[in-house]
Amino acid sequence: MNNVKAKLVKIVGTKNFSDSPKILKAYSKDYSLAPPGMPNYVVKPKDAKEVSEIVKLANEYKTPVVPCSSGVHFYGATIPKQGGIIVDLSRMNKIFEIDEPNKRARIEPGVTWEQIENELEKRDFQVVIPLLPHSSRSVVTDYLERVFPLAVVYDYGEPLQGMEVVWPNGDIFRTGSASTPGYPDSVARGVMPAGPGLDFWRLLQCAQGTMGIVTWTNIKIEYLPKVNKFFFIPFNDISNAVEFVYRILRQKIGDECLLLNNVTLAAILATNWPQDFDKLRAIFPPWTLLLTITGGYRRPEERIAYQENALMLIKKNEYQQLNISEALPGVPGAGRKLLAMLRKPWPKDITYWEHRYKGGCQSLFFITKPIYAHKFIKCVEELAVKHCYPINDIGYYLQPIEENRGCHLEFKFFYNPDDPEEIGQVSGLYAEAAKVLLNEGALFTRPYGILANIVYDKAAGYTAALKRVKKVFDPNNIMNPGNLCF
Amino acid sequence: MPQKKVKFDVTDIENFAYDMKRCIKCAGCKWVEHTYMPGINFSMRCPSAQKFLFDTYGAYGRVRTALSMLEGKVNYSDKFLDVVYKCQMCGACDVGCKRNLDLEIQLALEAIRVKCVADGKGPLPAHRKVAEKIGKTNNRFGSPHANRAKWLPADVKPAAKADIVYFVGCAASYTHPEIAKSTARILKAAGTPFMLLPDEWCCGNPLYTTGMIDEAKRVAEHNIEAIKKTGASTVLVSCAEGYRMLKVDYPKMFKMSTSDLGFKVVHLVEYVDELVKKGALKLQNKLDMRLTYHDSCNLARLSEPWVYWEGTHEQWGCVNPPLERRRGTYGIYQQPRDILSAIPGLKLVEMIRIKENTLCCGAGGGVRDAFKDFALWTANERLKEVREIGVEAIVSACPYCKDNFAEAIKINGDEIKVYDISELVWQAISK
Amino acid sequence: MAISREAYRVLESIVGPEYISEDPVDRYAYRCGPGGYETDTGFGRFMTKIAGAIIMPKTTEEVQKIVKACNRYKVPYVPWSTGFFGPRSFPYVEDAIIVDLKRMDKLEIDDKHMYAIVEPGVIASQLQAEALKRGLYIVVGGGGSQVSIVANTLGDGWSPLSYKIGMIERRMLGMEWVLPDGEILRTGSLALQDDYFWGEGPGPDLRGICRGHNGVRGCLGITTRLALKLHPFQPEKLEPTGITPETGLALPPKRVKWINFTMPSKEAIVKAMYEMSKAEVGAAATKVPLFWRDIAKAQSKEDFWARWSKANEEIVKRFFVLRVLLVGYTSEEQMEYEERVLMDIVKELGGDARPTKPTDESWIKNADSAGMWLMTGAYMSVIYVWEALDHAKVQGENYAKLKAKYTPPLMPDYRDPGWFQLGEGGHQGYTEFLVYWDPDGPDEDTHKVDRYYIETMKDDIKNRSYPSLCGPQHPLYLSGPAYGPNYHIWMLKIKEELDPNKVCHPPVPLAQDKFVEQADWMKPVKDW
Repeated sequence: MNNVKAKLVKIVGTKNFSDSPKILKAYSKDYSLAPPGMPNYVVKPKDAKEVSEIVKLANEYKTPVVPCSSGVHFYGATIPKQGGIIVDLSRMNKIFEIDEPNKRARIEPGVTWEQIENELEKRDFQVVIPLLPHSSRSVVTDYLERVFPLAVVYDYGEPLQGMEVVWPNGDIFRTGSASTPGYPDSVARGVMPAGPGLDFWRLLQCAQGTMGIVTWTNIKIEYLPKVNKFFFIPFNDISNAVEFVYRILRQKIGDECLLLNNVTLAAILATNWPQDFDKLRAIFPPWTLLLTITGGYRRPEERIAYQENALMLIKKNEYQQLNISEALPGVPGAGRKLLAMLRKPWPKDITYWEHRYKGGCQSLFFITKPIYAHKFIKCVEELAVKHCYPINDIGYYLQPIEENRGCHLEFKFFYNPDDPEEIGQVSGLYAEAAKVLLNEGALFTRPYGILANIVYDKAAGYTAALKRVKKVFDPNNIMNPGNLCF
Repeated sequence: MPQKKVKFDVTDIENFAYDMKRCIKCAGCKWVEHTYMPGINFSMRCPSAQKFLFDTYGAYGRVRTALSMLEGKVNYSDKFLDVVYKCQMCGACDVGCKRNLDLEIQLALEAIRVKCVADGKGPLPAHRKVAEKIGKTNNRFGSPHANRAKWLPADVKPAAKADIVYFVGCAASYTHPEIAKSTARILKAAGTPFMLLPDEWCCGNPLYTTGMIDEAKRVAEHNIEAIKKTGASTVLVSCAEGYRMLKVDYPKMFKMSTSDLGFKVVHLVEYVDELVKKGALKLQNKLDMRLTYHDSCNLARLSEPWVYWEGTHEQWGCVNPPLERRRGTYGIYQQPRDILSAIPGLKLVEMIRIKENTLCCGAGGGVRDAFKDFALWTANERLKEVREIGVEAIVSACPYCKDNFAEAIKINGDEIKVYDISELVWQAISK
Repeated sequence: MAISREAYRVLESIVGPEYISEDPVDRYAYRCGPGGYETDTGFGRFMTKIAGAIIMPKTTEEVQKIVKACNRYKVPYVPWSTGFFGPRSFPYVEDAIIVDLKRMDKLEIDDKHMYAIVEPGVIASQLQAEALKRGLYIVVGGGGSQVSIVANTLGDGWSPLSYKIGMIERRMLGMEWVLPDGEILRTGSLALQDDYFWGEGPGPDLRGICRGHNGVRGCLGITTRLALKLHPFQPEKLEPTGITPETGLALPPKRVKWINFTMPSKEAIVKAMYEMSKAEVGAAATKVPLFWRDIAKAQSKEDFWARWSKANEEIVKRFFVLRVLLVGYTSEEQMEYEERVLMDIVKELGGDARPTKPTDESWIKNADSAGMWLMTGAYMSVIYVWEALDHAKVQGENYAKLKAKYTPPLMPDYRDPGWFQLGEGGHQGYTEFLVYWDPDGPDEDTHKVDRYYIETMKDDIKNRSYPSLCGPQHPLYLSGPAYGPNYHIWMLKIKEELDPNKVCHPPVPLAQDKFVEQADWMKPVKDW
């Protein structure tokens, strides 16, 4: 062990190494309900070379390596299950390039949402963003873990392109067209994620750090619209809401498009706690569809006009009773406010919105066909009753994906992290809901924590193949063991 | 590429070696042309490729097998002949290929059959039987030659001398007299005098399409001589097979062009269409029916005039002198449709595969003689389309199409009527 | 030597005697070439062998049994959908069995969730026709309307329509896949439920080992069912018109329109594409090579050459046509808006709209690949790369220089810098170099083409551009050390893990390596 320590210090320097109990403890838990697990060491490398040396060392000593990039973690993926070395990539926080013509940026994993969106905003660009990520979250990690953007117009699930990765054997490797010799000093810009030979980038997605350590990636950036309209469309029933979304997204109306229930929307918009929250969730409709229509880089008002006209024609012909408004009763200027909020991460000087209600939040999310949303909601509500969890406290979020061919459906169970009873209650509800929903057809493509066992048990054929591939890349099983099915 | 002399002469398969070699296996010979592709159903126009599945049974497989035989890698066998003769020679492959390329696939397939016969390996016994009948009785059925004109109704008298000679054909003479009668009556109603050949023989289609080119030439020579003796400027036929045989294969066999024949060949539908548009024939009777029109291959995509060509293949495969390829563009597609649309009360509903995309009825190329099951299977595939569009009747311009559909319908118990277009025209004009 | 009797009996019992054959007539019907994509190259002539037998399964279960039997009896097998993609689809060893999947031709569509489940026997134009009936559409890949949509999705699958629809990799949803050793892998939602609607995971995405930008050319098993995204189109019908060979889809003028623009320079075309990308307008944007225009107008091969012989470097240099497709996905008003934006861009750059036919002859339903063989009888694409648009521009110029050294025997193209276009919402650009030569010329001509092909990879390495044709498409030991680096090591390890008996299309992914080692005319290029 001392050898390991000494060698780690040699690689990263004393300043970037720690084995102090206080520091180790900070990495042993996160915002999830996953049980704690202590690492043995924490290191903060500065580049791929150092990462490579660390990984090679880990192989030599068969010591686990647990990569983490974000300042905050919600899913338990970075809690060491078998000890080992935390490789904290937060020092690797450079934005190497912003290539406007090709709509690309190249960033290290330590680059946060706050950092990238602030930088890109100066140039009228953005990385399409999921729902209010924590400002300290790593953009690279979030997209490796396949979060879904709010904007449904982009016909891709994730904007990752060519990247650099350190494989579990310590090899430094570039994927896609970033694999070109001499990159970035090359004709290739790194915009093609696929290849060479295999689609390596896919193996790194949702891998929770088990397949390698990404040390930089190219990522798509999009024009940040300057002219926008924001609509609120209330619904009492999720099925009606979903049908409307099917209708408009197939006709390519709308850019950002998401459905929130009263609880989630109130949690986001409330300023004075708890009174605003209670008031808003009482007055907000059961469901609100938030829909933006944005102006393009050229003739922005005309772009808005054709979409708005098409939307209103649908309302006139098919949804006369529907209320499509730019106002949200109860929140003056809600559209302007939300537009600014939803294109940025959550402000870092305000308690994270998921934690404002009770301090803790356990999210259960999966992918499904939107027509089944009502079925899953009903299941969860029945289980909530069973576990004595107040139904009116559950936050829902339905994110249509790519013109609503599928959706991300998320349940937020708020709880007091200092109250063991509430912890127990939410843990029990979460665990049972996961099993029931899986059997009902919920697709857990991001199997964190206890989800992993039930998912990989059911997907036996996939699990077997995945293990074979993992063995090729990580024969010593040192990359974040204990996660997924490894 | 060194220059190579080539001719459009099917007696030497080497003339089509380039065409066989340059097949790119795009299967344009099998699929409905992609612009017209209807979807997952009714997507093919090559019956043998669709039924027998192995690539061997599409043109892309046949040409590869034939090439391999020429290279000495494959020998004659029952299987080889099965592949060669399980094909209606419907021209779908030729036209499909020529949508994009300049390859003579139909001629290559004809040359393969001619070679099989020349090498003493073909045709199949069933085809031989038909040839023997033609040899003995000058018709494909083996019926008495003396009875060939027995169909003639009392109310029609052929002229001793006229511009038009009506070449009746074996089917209309013997097994489908209703076609001959209707045709004759139509001509009479139009005030068109016509002659009959005093000694009409089988046109030779069953001989030519199975590779028996020498026998075909024998009957062709006789018929051409007989036609010329009449002094007629035009030969009118009511059978698609006979039409193509006279117009295309006669000049082909004798290394000349259609324009060199010394007479024009027209199908009844061309003639009637012209008369109707001129106002010389009035389709006044109402026929209350929803029906569909089946494009018979030989009248549709295989009916363009034949132009004899010989020259050289040069660099890039260019031919010198250049030639205008027969791509099926100018087939007889519109005339029958215009005729049917002009008949009051008739509702013409198109099938899914029409015109150059038509699916063969199944009878041609000697298939009905040697592989009746396959012929009927093909007819049934076509009838699926008829059922799909929900019509009461199917009409074509060929007695062999009529025959094959009628038999398939009888076996299925479908309630679909089968007509020849001559019958409907007669019904529309008869008083 | 033939396939062992034991093995043959077992295989026959799986499908029935009607669906397996070792008759030489059938085996030679499945020969590679002479004609076809890449078949006239040395690779095609030298490497491909006649199959020992052909077998035609109907179900995934039959495919699995066949693969397991092949593993047990060490019978090499080659997955086959249409056999169109040249020598890649044919055996390279004796007594291999071709697994012809054409009987697997089911197609189901979930209209509401916009995806189709297809089997390998379904071709692109069939799927496009069914999609269009529902107001949806797909990319019909440049390989042509006649390609198996499964095979094309796994190995190629793009066209100018990829500007709006995006990378083919992203369009694959749930997959059912028989691995080389006979294990069945179901990916995406299919891993957990009987539904194909989703493509990812669970967890790491094993679709990563089936594609790799150009596919693995049949060496990592057989995909028996695949779900593919369909994309919203517009509601009006595109009516097929015309009689062969002049057919086309009549476009509803207020909802679908191609516009050709003449631009003052190549740079202006590139700039226009960048502006379109930033403005997020258009459904396709492509620079048209001059000879395509002549192919489209030619009535015959000779007619093409009569037109093309009038071309020269000066004319090619001055031929700058940008072809753009507009689709009113949302409404007529949307198309009008996009057209105004497009006209703004073109006007700023000094271009002009030309009268353009209101029909689509190629890309929406009929991707006219077969026409590529009209000119000389032989064709292949030496590169087809998705990278950035400026990569396409520079790479095109590099390739034109290299190609000039091999012209003749390549068909004269007067230094045309290839075809390039926009892709994936403007995040990517594409370039492709299509080459033609006389396949009936002297052998040395073909040998030069073979060597040229390898030189393109070397040129990419030297110029630091991304060749896309990594993996089995080029010698692995040439591209491997350069890209990654050493991507080939991972690829070979995966291959070894999944195909321990080496029966799945041997020796792919090393077939190109073998060719270069063994064909004596390739020795001058073999310097790695």
